[in-house]
Amino acid sequence: MANFTKALHLSKSYGKSLFSTLRNGHICNSRMISTTLYLRDFMAFFDDKKNWGATEVKSGRSWQKDDLRIKSNPDLHKLWYVLLKERNMLLTMEQECKEQMKLFPSPERLDKVEESMENLEEVVRERNRAYHELERGEIGEQPKETIIGPFGLPEEYKMTEHSIPKEINAEWYKQQQIKCDPRDVAEFGRKYREKEFIEKRRQHKRDFNHVIGLLNRFPKMDMEALKEQYPDVDIEKAKASRKYKPPPVFDD
Amino acid sequence: MSTRLYPLYQKGGPQLRVFLPNFWLKLVRPDNDRPSNIVQFMCSMEMTRYDIKNYLEKIYGIKCVHVRTRIALGKTRLEPGRGYVIKDDDIKYAYVILPKGETFEFPNLFPEEKEKELKEQEKTFEEIKKSHEKFLSKNSNRPGTPGWFSF
Repeated sequence: MANFTKALHLSKSYGKSLFSTLRNGHICNSRMISTTLYLRDFMAFFDDKKNWGATEVKSGRSWQKDDLRIKSNPDLHKLWYVLLKERNMLLTMEQECKEQMKLFPSPERLDKVEESMENLEEVVRERNRAYHELERGEIGEQPKETIIGPFGLPEEYKMTEHSIPKEINAEWYKQQQIKCDPRDVAEFGRKYREKEFIEKRRQHKRDFNHVIGLLNRFPKMDMEALKEQYPDVDIEKAKASRKYKPPPVFDD
Repeated sequence: MSTRLYPLYQKGGPQLRVFLPNFWLKLVRPDNDRPSNIVQFMCSMEMTRYDIKNYLEKIYGIKCVHVRTRIALGKTRLEPGRGYVIKDDDIKYAYVILPKGETFEFPNLFPEEKEKELKEQEKTFEEIKKSHEKFLSKNSNRPGTPGWFSF
């Protein structure tokens, strides 16, 4: 696992192990900050030399949320930079492969790193939320509001800080005043709703016919599971349809 | 506030610090001949020159004298047979000038030995393919019979 080995490598250089539970703490504490030449060089942007020109590079799984929840905040902070460097390295290699018209070996590595970063951020967000709920009684996320947009549809508005109140903020007011002709908005809304309704009706019809087809092919199907999967379809009504032609059953 | 939202900076306020930066930086092969102390990067569109300098110094430990950036316009082209225009994404390039005496040469990431190995593998694969085709051609006038049927 490239991430894992690199994390170990970097953690050694920071003088504190990310995996102090796995490793002997005494050895790690005795080593103070010592960055290797490899880390300071531009070669950190490239993969290991043995992987140059390889067709496949083996890697482990990504960091899951459960792995990250048991780490301390400084460890997560260090791991973020490890992942960031790994991602930069993979992006560099991918770009060079593209330029040289070669196949980028094991592209799933990029997805794994990105997934790990997402998970890490989610864990940090969780901790943030817990802190804010405990100390301030709010979530600590950016406040949101649902407003009616210029096209008459509900939109999510993310509130941000401003240096002046909105009563005297002429620029902000100008932005808010983008409005369409109310008659056009009304017509758009009518057509939009009609489109939605037609789509919904078609979906319902499709489901209904599909359920009939399923009943015809599999007469001994689990009816409760069918009801659960297609809650909008009335099965009694489907059975009353002229399209319902189940095959004869002989075994009982 | 969340990890990605920073308080509004006002005069006299504390310096904003980024704890989890999500900028990316790609080291790319220079697109034309340039002095060996200039390194070319692709970077995220939001990065400024100061960001790039700090990013390289704090995360990679690379000192740089000066950073220049430019935004390359993405190419536009007509979708064949459709008639609408497609535009590629714009790319931000950064040109980092290294301190005196330091140089950087973009390495060859595809060594010749490995290329040769790959070619040999391909050759053997081709041979196997040919022999299999020959084996199948034995039965070409008796379709449907299994391969072990004839001697």
